[in-house]
Amino acid sequence: MLKILGRATSSNVQKVVWICEELNVPYERTDIGGPFGGNDKAEYLSLNPNGRVPTIDDDGFVLWESNAIVRYLADKHGTGTPLRPDDVRARASADRWMDWTLSTLASTHVPVYQGLVRTPEAERDMAKIAAARDGWAKANEVLETWLADHEYLSGDEFGIGDIPASPFTFRWFNLDIEREDFPNLKRWHEAICARPAFREHVIDIGMH
Amino acid sequence: MLQLKGRTNSSNVMKALWVLDEISLEYDREDVGGQFGKNRETPYLSLNPNGRIPTIIDGDLVLWESNSIVRYLASKHSLGTLCPADPADRARCEMWMDWQLTELVMDMVPVFHGLIRKPPEERDMEAIDAARDSWAGKWKILDDHLSRNAYVGGDSFTMADIPIGPIAYRWYELPIEREDFTNLKRWYDALCERPAFRTHVMTGLS
Repeated sequence: MLKILGRATSSNVQKVVWICEELNVPYERTDIGGPFGGNDKAEYLSLNPNGRVPTIDDDGFVLWESNAIVRYLADKHGTGTPLRPDDVRARASADRWMDWTLSTLASTHVPVYQGLVRTPEAERDMAKIAAARDGWAKANEVLETWLADHEYLSGDEFGIGDIPASPFTFRWFNLDIEREDFPNLKRWHEAICARPAFREHVIDIGMH
Repeated sequence: MLQLKGRTNSSNVMKALWVLDEISLEYDREDVGGQFGKNRETPYLSLNPNGRIPTIIDGDLVLWESNSIVRYLASKHSLGTLCPADPADRARCEMWMDWQLTELVMDMVPVFHGLIRKPPEERDMEAIDAARDSWAGKWKILDDHLSRNAYVGGDSFTMADIPIGPIAYRWYELPIEREDFTNLKRWYDALCERPAFRTHVMTGLS
């Protein structure tokens, strides 16, 4: 059975668990990283030299980088479905949002999330958090523009292009921060929240 | 004909130029970004709302994010060669392409911008040194991988080598201390033999 190594509270682990549920792929998950540790141990580092989570072991095939894992599982189990269409153009268009989450969205969100959720109130650098929030809002404006013309990031239907950005959007709508009025982002996020696997593995886990 | 928008001295545009030459696809390129501007103006933003480069237009597909462009062109024009057909082999390539985005490029930016795009009096040498040390740690991970693999994606040259190649060129050309990573150097020397790499990546630092 597919093994997933990584704690349930990591947004990167959540992407992998979520795609497994969407594809009906059975898996076993082991808590690694954060309060559980283990990611700095030689045994883990021999699988993933970066010491980050998640890592998967699929019958001996070891893979890390959460977006690469999502793509691999969708290619293996979902090719030809709306999750991972055959058409190279549709695939590329969805892929771009996965890369964009890494290149743009994640880095703007990190100071806000770490600052408000993982830092005690007395130690928070509110000016830094506010500046990062503004950058995050700009990134969300890019999503808003796209979603004004498209039902999903992946296109007309839900696909893997929607997965990496979604845990960050959940945080955007649930952190105690100022929020611009992005009606299309909100409509898309509500459609994501209606998916049982997202509810179970992202919403119900909450912010830690 | 495929259109590519972006200035040639951007490492992200280099990835697109390099893969286009590897697959021998003709294209028209327009200078955008840096001293050429246009990337913050409405016509470009209507194609790419991030205002970054590169962007390609291939028929009715407008695509941005350089690694997605590499993956798209390799899978469309070189399936089974630059883009492996087997899902596990392909995933191995994509893992390192993502690693370039999440790990490798982060440390390059302060070193490259600090030493090349800033005047000496504005350089924060402490920040540059710290980023260089962290960058070396990332290269060590790749050096170790390349002790068991001829190329990033395995036995042969694939799309996995392309995002990392321009970053490696900067590592070897910047005036910085460099650890002796013998496997990395062997791989880098092999890239330097490729005409498309020489034409589009080995073009100096600016």
